[in-house]
Amino acid sequence: MNLTELLEATARRWPQKLAIVEDGVVLSYGGLAQQVCELAQQIGSLNTGASSRIGLAFPNGIAYVALTFALWRLNVVVVPVPSDCPEEEIAEIGVAMQLSGMLTPKPRGASVAVAPDCYFTKLNPSKPPDNHGLNLAFIRFTSGTTSARKGVALSHETIRDRILSANKAFRITADDTVIWCLPMAHHFLITVVLYIEVGATIVLARHVTAKPFLEAVNRWKGTVLYAAPFHFSMWARDYSAVQIPSVRLAISTTCALPQDVANDFFKRFNLVLAQGLGVIELGLVALNTPAPGGRWNSVGRGAGDFQVRVVNPDAEGCGELAVRGPGIFDAYVAPWVSREEVLCDGWFYTGDIGRIDEDGFLFLLSRKTAVINLAGRKVFPEEIEAVINRYPAVGESRVYGQLHPHLGETVEAEVVLSSPDAKLDTIHAFCREHLASYKIPTRFTIVAALPRTPVTGKIRRAAPVA
Amino acid sequence: MIDPLEIETKLLDFLKREVFASAVVVTPETDLIASGFDSMSLVRVLLFIEQSYGFWIPEGEITVDALQNVRSLAATAARILNAR
Repeated sequence: MNLTELLEATARRWPQKLAIVEDGVVLSYGGLAQQVCELAQQIGSLNTGASSRIGLAFPNGIAYVALTFALWRLNVVVVPVPSDCPEEEIAEIGVAMQLSGMLTPKPRGASVAVAPDCYFTKLNPSKPPDNHGLNLAFIRFTSGTTSARKGVALSHETIRDRILSANKAFRITADDTVIWCLPMAHHFLITVVLYIEVGATIVLARHVTAKPFLEAVNRWKGTVLYAAPFHFSMWARDYSAVQIPSVRLAISTTCALPQDVANDFFKRFNLVLAQGLGVIELGLVALNTPAPGGRWNSVGRGAGDFQVRVVNPDAEGCGELAVRGPGIFDAYVAPWVSREEVLCDGWFYTGDIGRIDEDGFLFLLSRKTAVINLAGRKVFPEEIEAVINRYPAVGESRVYGQLHPHLGETVEAEVVLSSPDAKLDTIHAFCREHLASYKIPTRFTIVAALPRTPVTGKIRRAAPVA
Repeated sequence: MIDPLEIETKLLDFLKREVFASAVVVTPETDLIASGFDSMSLVRVLLFIEQSYGFWIPEGEITVDALQNVRSLAATAARILNAR
């Protein structure tokens, strides 16, 4: 199957229904399907070839959605490239994911115009990508350590299966209007594609600050909000008296929901904020709706057809969480590792530590890995350390998460200098050249030595510092 | 009392250096949102203010008016800081 069939079915059923609203531009499902056809024709004339992989470096917008479906129509694998990536990271994605080209809203080097505000740059992968016979639709590039598996590949069928499972929990229908504010480069499948499959309307919020966001909710009678705790905290603490009576479902995702945000949001809007747990390898694992009293901090029970269990629980019932369900990813891309090689008897080991209460509600406690969560963006310490360590006057470094009351965690670094003349300012400037802005540590500290584990001598990865 | 102009200068420098691409021209009057100032840019600016001045701008103060440009953002920060 091909995911464009989902859009085409919705467009046949409700050609006049609003699909996407962006800055006053209103596009029906019929219009969106038409735009996808035209873009597919334009891109198709470039002869990129089926099964090739193309990077999509676009900000949120109608174009992002239309281009994704146009590429799918051509059986091209879509690789989102976050628009705040520095050139060095874009180049890394291109090489690691063997991209044959990149679509951008502005011209780049030898790019050719495909449509207004849409340019194609041809890239030449060292060898053509091998999709191992899978009907791949999507690869999410994940950086992380140099030894880590890069890229999570999903087939058209996998995405369809996870959407169907997720919507058993979300229960979104054609009557819903979603007011959208998360970056599509990071959130797209069990959200935007799902909304299109059911024929809901997607309104792209112009900005996340309370006033324009709440205005958009009321103007378009939004029924569903899907955002990070950082956003909900801004809206909950808005000083105006504006209410949002049309909203029936508000889901907090990307990182743990602080209890005060959930409480303030409830007090301000009389709406229970539900936490969801989405994982790129899996889809929607759990959703806490309806959130029963006293369980604000749970991510809920297994969503749709997902099952969650605690592996080797300790005396308090805590342990690593393993998950199984429909729509589990097809493979890691570089190096290629298939789903079958990753799963243990059908279970995916998440690396998250948690517990499940007597009624099946799941509570996340910590991550086994050292990934830092800055307002919902994942930051991999090893990736930042690799950059810092390249600076000539740095001997070694350790990057860690510092707990922050409003953002989850912030990124901080300890460095051991190999030359006493080195200045932190210049290390900071070096990071600016090589890292996306949000990955740059907000604080650098010079230390004499880094803490190491006694047996292996590896740098000790501590839990986030309070 | 802190002078809003002092915050404005620091903020402008920070935004040019760390938030906007070098091709984007940023002055104290530049419309931030129209220039691509997004959710993550906001996080960076709030953290920068917290680190430089030791306080977190309350969420209720993060309004469209405050985020209009560097000048309005600096004025908001100065007002909160001076009222403490």
